Amino acid sequence: MAVNSIDREPREQSEYRGVRRIDHVPQIFNNQPARYYLMWLLLPAVLLLAAISLYPFAWLIYMSLHEVQLAPGKSDLWAGFDNFSRLFSDKNFARGWLTLFKYSALCLSVEITLGVLVAVILNNSRLEKLFITIFLMPMMMAPVVAGFLYMFLYNGTFGWYFWLLRSLGVLDGGSILGNKSWAMAGVVATDVWQWTPLIALITLAGLKRVPQEQLEANMVDGAGPIRNFFSVALPNLYPFLLIAILLRFMDNFRFIDTILIMTGGGPANATKILPTYLFDVSFKFFELGRGAAIAFTLLLLTILLGLALTKIFEDPTRKIKSDRAD
Amino acid sequence: MASREIVRYKSPTRTAFSVLVILFLIVFFVWTVLPLAIMLTSSFKDLLDAFKLPAEGDWGGVGVMFDFKPTGAHYIELFTEKHFGEYMRNSLIASLGSAVVSVFLGSMAAYAMSRAEFRGKKDLLFWIISTRMAPVVAVMVPLYVIFRSSGLVGTLPGLILAYTTFNLPFAIWILKGFFDNVPYAIEEAALCDGANRWQALRMIMPLVAPGVGAFIVLCVLFGWNDFLFASIIGSGGAKTLPVATAELVQPVKIQWGSIMAAGVVTTVPMMFLGLLIRRYLVTGLTMGAVRE
Repeated sequence: MAVNSIDREPREQSEYRGVRRIDHVPQIFNNQPARYYLMWLLLPAVLLLAAISLYPFAWLIYMSLHEVQLAPGKSDLWAGFDNFSRLFSDKNFARGWLTLFKYSALCLSVEITLGVLVAVILNNSRLEKLFITIFLMPMMMAPVVAGFLYMFLYNGTFGWYFWLLRSLGVLDGGSILGNKSWAMAGVVATDVWQWTPLIALITLAGLKRVPQEQLEANMVDGAGPIRNFFSVALPNLYPFLLIAILLRFMDNFRFIDTILIMTGGGPANATKILPTYLFDVSFKFFELGRGAAIAFTLLLLTILLGLALTKIFEDPTRKIKSDRAD
Repeated sequence: MASREIVRYKSPTRTAFSVLVILFLIVFFVWTVLPLAIMLTSSFKDLLDAFKLPAEGDWGGVGVMFDFKPTGAHYIELFTEKHFGEYMRNSLIASLGSAVVSVFLGSMAAYAMSRAEFRGKKDLLFWIISTRMAPVVAVMVPLYVIFRSSGLVGTLPGLILAYTTFNLPFAIWILKGFFDNVPYAIEEAALCDGANRWQALRMIMPLVAPGVGAFIVLCVLFGWNDFLFASIIGSGGAKTLPVATAELVQPVKIQWGSIMAAGVVTTVPMMFLGLLIRRYLVTGLTMGAVRE
């Protein structure tokens, strides 16, 4: 980051930007160019952020190349790329990635389907306000609390969802979270319960932007409501859904609280997504060097997702911010 | 949609369709609200009532859920024996402290980012958003080592700093989008009238104040709901509500009544805050990508 390189932009661009241009403004404050004044505003936050993100990142790289000794007085041993090369032979590592993608794919597909369906039904209906208020409630809940709540509902002796599944005759076994094939469904259901509302709210915001004329034109051409949805509304929703997918995917590996609480990755690693594995390696086995190497691979994925997200923000054709003031 | 002006005639398919739609809405409503209702009722049940279930397949027995004598024992236990008052204070200090620091520094930086054009601005923004997106566990590995050597583990300042790792980039990013929407012409007009820069900045304060307030609330929410940082970095001296809730799980018996009560205590304040900032919530949760 180079704050001291704050510079004039080429003239054409600033004309285009119009209102943003600042170096023409009479320099009244402290007789200094505007950019210095803005630099002093920017600096504290950037320095603090560097201290709590770049400095740890440097540490992360250092740790990933060492065998970290936690006992006081012992110095770390140089390990070269051992921590990384060991990942290739680590079965749990590969499985962690697979489980992460499986978990995310399940969560996202159910959430998107349900969320869009609910939003389309609710759009412009009398129930919209009521449902939006209700939607807020699960989203505001701490993931840990949601985890406990669902553990309670799944409990084999007094859980209501357990009772429901048994009564419906779907569940044969005596436990949901202890069963290899049901545990994944269990944690996915928790995520779906908590975050489908967000998808619905995003979709509702998107539906409000669907150009009315296109819908009407399509109807005049003889399309019914279903055809109308697929050929007009849905294409207009894509940018919104893309944002929703990226954000939810990101959160799926950013927050592992529910999985940690509900199954801890079990049974038999059925729900051990990579971040959960990383948690175990770092804070259960205290192999911080290996943990750092795994964290590094996760950060790479983050950077890729970040690139995708900023691309969406920059894309001039996207319709999401079309209501901007300028 | 535009279909309102078009007259619809009744047909059996249409009726069946609308019945299906209504059924779906009811199921979705129950699916969303039922867990909350169960949490609330269970927190007021004593142990015997909480464990009552109808026999398998006995659909008429669902009424058991609401057949209980309410007791506040779990709440009283939490706040007298389990020191939840103290944990609540810790949660509040840590999340509010981090929110205020983040939004204060963040709004300054965001204002500068929004008004200035400089080389490397895009890269700076990318760095900021990727800091926010980094998985909590991945950040925590090095942060834990650093905090441990500087004695910040188990203290509230340590926790505030830890929460700032995700709140500060969030605040900068989202407030930048927010300032972008305020026309620079307002400040320009003030400057032409002879105001200095700070006075010009004060002109747009009333425009941005509600948003800044809402994002403080959102930062509080992120900090309040955090579990991983609190359990590793706050372990020991700075126990927050989610961690205290998790500690109610004991190997011998899980105290479900207390856990449900703790869940209510943790969740209800945040729900009210959520309703309060409802207008900004979707914007906040989508990093400013979606505006309502």
